[in-house]
Amino acid sequence: MTVERIYVFKRFERFWHWSQAMLIIFMLITGFEVHGSYHLLGFASAVELHTIAAWTLVSLWVFAIFWHFTTGEWMQYIPTTEKVVAMIKFYSVGIFQGAPHPFRATTLKKHNPLQRLAYLGVLLFIGPLIWFTGWFYLFYGSWREWGVESLLSLEWVAFFHTAAAFMMLAFLIAHVYLTTTGHTPTSHIKAMITGWEEVD
Amino acid sequence: MFKVIGGFIGGVVLVALLAYSYMGSLMFWEVESPFGVEETVARIQQNVQKVGNGWALSGLRNPGKAVESSGGNVLPVMMVEACSTKYSGPILKDDSVRFLSILMPCKISVYKKNDGKTYIGLMNAGLMGKMFGPMVGDIMAEVAEDQKKFILFDPNEPAPPMIKPAPPGAGGSAGASAAGGC
Amino acid sequence: MTPTSRTIKASLGVAAMLVAFNASALQAKPDAAATQAVNGGKNAHASTADHSKFKELQKNFKTGPEVTEACLLCHTEAAKQVQHTKHWTWQSLDPKTGQLRGKKNIINNYCTSVVSNEKDCMACHAGYGWKDQSFDFSVEKNVDCLICHDSTGTYRKLPGYAGHPVYKRVEFPHGSGRFVEAVDLKKVAQSIAMPSRSNCGSCHFFGGGANGAKHGDMDSSLQHPGKYLDVHMNEQGLNFSCTTCHATSSHQVSGSRYNVAAAVTGKAAIRGNVDSTPSSCQSCHGNKPHSEKMSRLNQHTDKIACQTCHIPEYARNDIGTELSWDWSKATIMDENGKRIVRKDSAGRRAFDSQKGEWKWESHVIPEYRWFNGESTYKVIGDKIDPTQTVPLSVVGGSPDDPGSRIWPTKVHRGKQPYDTVNLTLTVQHTGGEDDTALWHNYDWQKAIGTGMKAAGLPYSGQYDFVDTELTWPITHMVAPKEDALTCVQCHSKNGRLKGVPGIYMPSRDGNQWLDMIGWTVALLTLLGVLAHGAIRILTSKKEG
Repeated sequence: MTVERIYVFKRFERFWHWSQAMLIIFMLITGFEVHGSYHLLGFASAVELHTIAAWTLVSLWVFAIFWHFTTGEWMQYIPTTEKVVAMIKFYSVGIFQGAPHPFRATTLKKHNPLQRLAYLGVLLFIGPLIWFTGWFYLFYGSWREWGVESLLSLEWVAFFHTAAAFMMLAFLIAHVYLTTTGHTPTSHIKAMITGWEEVD
Repeated sequence: MFKVIGGFIGGVVLVALLAYSYMGSLMFWEVESPFGVEETVARIQQNVQKVGNGWALSGLRNPGKAVESSGGNVLPVMMVEACSTKYSGPILKDDSVRFLSILMPCKISVYKKNDGKTYIGLMNAGLMGKMFGPMVGDIMAEVAEDQKKFILFDPNEPAPPMIKPAPPGAGGSAGASAAGGC
Repeated sequence: MTPTSRTIKASLGVAAMLVAFNASALQAKPDAAATQAVNGGKNAHASTADHSKFKELQKNFKTGPEVTEACLLCHTEAAKQVQHTKHWTWQSLDPKTGQLRGKKNIINNYCTSVVSNEKDCMACHAGYGWKDQSFDFSVEKNVDCLICHDSTGTYRKLPGYAGHPVYKRVEFPHGSGRFVEAVDLKKVAQSIAMPSRSNCGSCHFFGGGANGAKHGDMDSSLQHPGKYLDVHMNEQGLNFSCTTCHATSSHQVSGSRYNVAAAVTGKAAIRGNVDSTPSSCQSCHGNKPHSEKMSRLNQHTDKIACQTCHIPEYARNDIGTELSWDWSKATIMDENGKRIVRKDSAGRRAFDSQKGEWKWESHVIPEYRWFNGESTYKVIGDKIDPTQTVPLSVVGGSPDDPGSRIWPTKVHRGKQPYDTVNLTLTVQHTGGEDDTALWHNYDWQKAIGTGMKAAGLPYSGQYDFVDTELTWPITHMVAPKEDALTCVQCHSKNGRLKGVPGIYMPSRDGNQWLDMIGWTVALLTLLGVLAHGAIRILTSKKEG
């Protein structure tokens, strides 16, 4: 088997990934404190920091969306069912038997089909849900002005925001672990730092 | 080999962290009182006077008053001070532990929390005493026993009056603003 | 018991009740500095009239009405103005329901009712001579100008005289060996000034028969308050008098508990615009008073009253306030049949055979309720349901009402007698030296009989005691802003607003199921990946 090194993660993408990761972790920590799950920084600080991090993350996402469209990288996330079953079989059985990875990454298709689906779910479902419910949550005081007071209820906005947060948390745990399922346990992580991935 | 050393260091760090986080709660006790602040103070004062072993009241402090005089508010907190020469004598006579005078007189604090209930705060005299040698350890163990009696309340007894300290005499003018509280 | 000792006992009773009532009321020394302070502090402007120079006031006045007649020689409209106000009529009409409220008509769970007890209660009437139903409310010279306008601090009205001041040196409290000197009406008349906190407080601090008993946010500590106690009335600072907020025009004092401006919106009032709520916080501070740094708090004003955060506790002094009054324990005597009087640990009244049992507390944490400014009151003759706690005064409002805010309130709980057949709260004749006065003879039946007759209500002869509750809003004793409630005091599971319905508060509320499912999913994910990883390690070892 020949091992090839391909350049899969550009500089901006790596920057985007890691700062997003830091912000999401920070927002989970502060967010669950605002929710009342524990007491760490104090409610007032948690709210303030969560809000600052939220605006930072939103600006980051704006840049990232812009970048994805102008560079064409958005095509990496087009979902496909081709080889999805093979991927699932690999993760549930094959990986324990030392079987070969069913998917070979290329610069144009760097994510395996399961990854595409997962990431698309985050980008198109969890992300927007948490973002928009978060905005309505933050601007609760302006609901009357905007004329939406009778349409929304803070209880439900908070419910969906929290639900999305739990989904994000579950995704984070699974994602961090799954990065270790590469060529070597650290090859994917190295790739997200250096940009170069080894593929066979 | 490295794994063993690593595990050992990890264990030490873990124990240190646990000790650090629990130390505070071991050094002090907090007990809820069924009565209001003033009545709890008054009952403790009565108990101190009744328990014997040389115990006498040496003061009643309200640190909240000093905060008030500089324009602020605190939920009520009062400190009953009690002393017994039977216990303090031997400690004060010994050079090596005389610094423990900083913990004198024995204080019991009574305060209201944001839930509206009254709580009693005590130092864990028995545990603290153990840290300073056998002589102090034995004495503080007895103090701890007496302390338990200070906070035994009989609800059938009517509420006694609080014993307020006499206003400061000639020597008290110095700390004028503090005299109201501390 | 001999008649004499009974009389002494009764007098002691009346006396003891009223010791606190008047004891510290008007101790201000009548020197120039005090007069200055009494007049409103550093912002007091000198009056244009020095009343000691007027020949109309050079008389040796013998009675209060004589003084009023002299006042009316110049202030021709004053008495008529007062007669149109609640301070005179002790009555207030609820425009919505037509119910007549006011001290004359309501029943509370402090002293219960003024009917049949006028001789004592009218010591706090702004008038002279209201001793029973026959009082003529149209007589102008019976208006008491001095109780509000005296600035000597020596004008005193004692219970038992139907509103007349002390004309003759008298032993008070009865049997105590202490005496109250006759009021020098000439000196008082010549010392006329705008009302100070002590004037208003001489009645409003001592309601219910003891300093601080009733309101909790008003007691004698407000005569010379520090900044920690009330930032506006702080003697060394703003030194507001009551009328600074309770702006008065033609003797109509604004800001009544019967009609509270609970949810004022909009900017601070400006001159030229009619300010219909001068005694509200918003009148000066507007509805969005917080600085940029705390702008999120300006969003809270749509749901929370200013008082909720800025009066963290009330009765923040050693005087404290009364939280319950159990009348059912009255008439319990000691083993010799003598009156029992007991104080609590802080020296406040705890038990009295004449009145029952009390509980007092200082630094009280308020109970929080939705309030839209309108309260409902029980008046004399209203029917009650004795199987529940009777709500004598309830603050109206609800979470869905845009005119409601969460307010801090004082809830006074008690037990008082009611007619078990007619299901009405009873009116009882408490004070006096006649045979049927409760504090004289310790006989409930006689006391209730007289009271109900005076009130014009039927009495079946059967009485028992029922639990009652009285809820009043808290608005004084505003703390410095550094002492306002912090976010976490409400935004937590067991915070101040625990139990307040109708709003979603992060950290207090949440969906139990969502939390359970969410954390379970997260935990299962974690366990899943750990297991997956462990199996990978194990299987790779086997191969390697």
